[in-house]
Amino acid sequence: MATLQDIKRRIVGVKNTQKITRAMKMIAAAKLRKAQTNVLNARPYTDKIASIVSRLPDEDDLSSNPFFTQRDVKNVAIVVVTADRGLCGSFNQNIIKETERYINEELKAEDINYQLFCAGKKGVDYFRKRDYEIIGTDSGLFSSLEYNSALNIYNTIVPKFLDGAIDKVVLIYNSFVSIINQKLETKQLLPITTESGSEERYQDDINYIYEPNREYIFKYIIPKHLKAQLWRTLLESNAAELSARMTAMDNATTNADELIKSLNLTYNKERQAAITKEILEIVSGANALKAS
Amino acid sequence: MAEIDLEIITPEKIIYKDSVDSITIPGTKGMFQVLKDHAPLMSTIEIGVITLKNNNTNTYFTTAGGTIEVLNNNVLILADSVEVTEDIDIDRAERAKTRAEENLKRKKEEEEINVVRAELALKRAINRISAKEKYI
Repeated sequence: MATLQDIKRRIVGVKNTQKITRAMKMIAAAKLRKAQTNVLNARPYTDKIASIVSRLPDEDDLSSNPFFTQRDVKNVAIVVVTADRGLCGSFNQNIIKETERYINEELKAEDINYQLFCAGKKGVDYFRKRDYEIIGTDSGLFSSLEYNSALNIYNTIVPKFLDGAIDKVVLIYNSFVSIINQKLETKQLLPITTESGSEERYQDDINYIYEPNREYIFKYIIPKHLKAQLWRTLLESNAAELSARMTAMDNATTNADELIKSLNLTYNKERQAAITKEILEIVSGANALKAS
Repeated sequence: MAEIDLEIITPEKIIYKDSVDSITIPGTKGMFQVLKDHAPLMSTIEIGVITLKNNNTNTYFTTAGGTIEVLNNNVLILADSVEVTEDIDIDRAERAKTRAEENLKRKKEEEEINVVRAELALKRAINRISAKEKYI
């Protein structure tokens, strides 16, 4: 049976943990505000540039421009974006699970080779330990997220895609929905998918004037688009991570509160029991004296 | 009179969203102006100054390049960086200019790419400085 002192010690321990979780929640909340602004500000640009790029190609481009051509898929590169740290609920686990599901169900079944690009320390550690084929890693990027990290992914993957070493690039990451909600996303980066209702688009094809010419614009806008999408992915993941951590730490703090409450109750019960026992002893001792 | 819906968006934020009478753009093939009912157009933008005209007042933005799409009186400018000329930090631009010039001197014999980058940085700095002097 736990003695009074043991219970007291546990209460102090839980209280200390609670202090930490509360501090972590507050830090995450403060960082989240900035991360959220960043991602919300980046969204219009990436959305618009994506919509231009998906409207731009005509039938010829779909078969001649390497960025749009659908090839026979033999090699797939997966960009896995996790967090650098844990303590954010199932954030990292979800990504890892989805990646493995994707590999097992959609790639291994079709005998497709795959390579991973891991961004975020958790993913790097996990996949490296299990001997996955890795083409690039970036760990520790989220402590101060910089545009160079997106460039790094771009420079690792896109040349390989153009060489034909990779036929398809998929992003797996968490996107930021709201402060209490993240969404797991699997998105194809390359080849660039055009708008689904493309048939319609060709019917009322707009005769754009291109200045200086189509090729130049393609050459300019496609890298811009890809870099912007990668950057957006990192921003989304960063904001999602912080919001996940905030929720997780908030839950932990509440749980600690409950634990402390129940421990206090046990402590008080024990204390009363001890006092009662002591009084009983004294009274029965006194009675025994009186009787004699 | 404002008849064209214009949006200027950079990766950091939406800079401008309103209707205007005309827009003058430093296109890759030269300056051009977009008025009402302009034909559908897609063009790249060079380093330079974008001029918006609305009710006879002009607003000037410096830009470091981007793209413009004109379609049905909707104009969308996606630019790498855009500043209202009033907001230009002249000291920062001057510093960037000196830095670029030094880099150019030093890096002449090094890789080509560094020279290109330094030249672009210099161009951007000069653009900002000249815009500030000209329009304010």
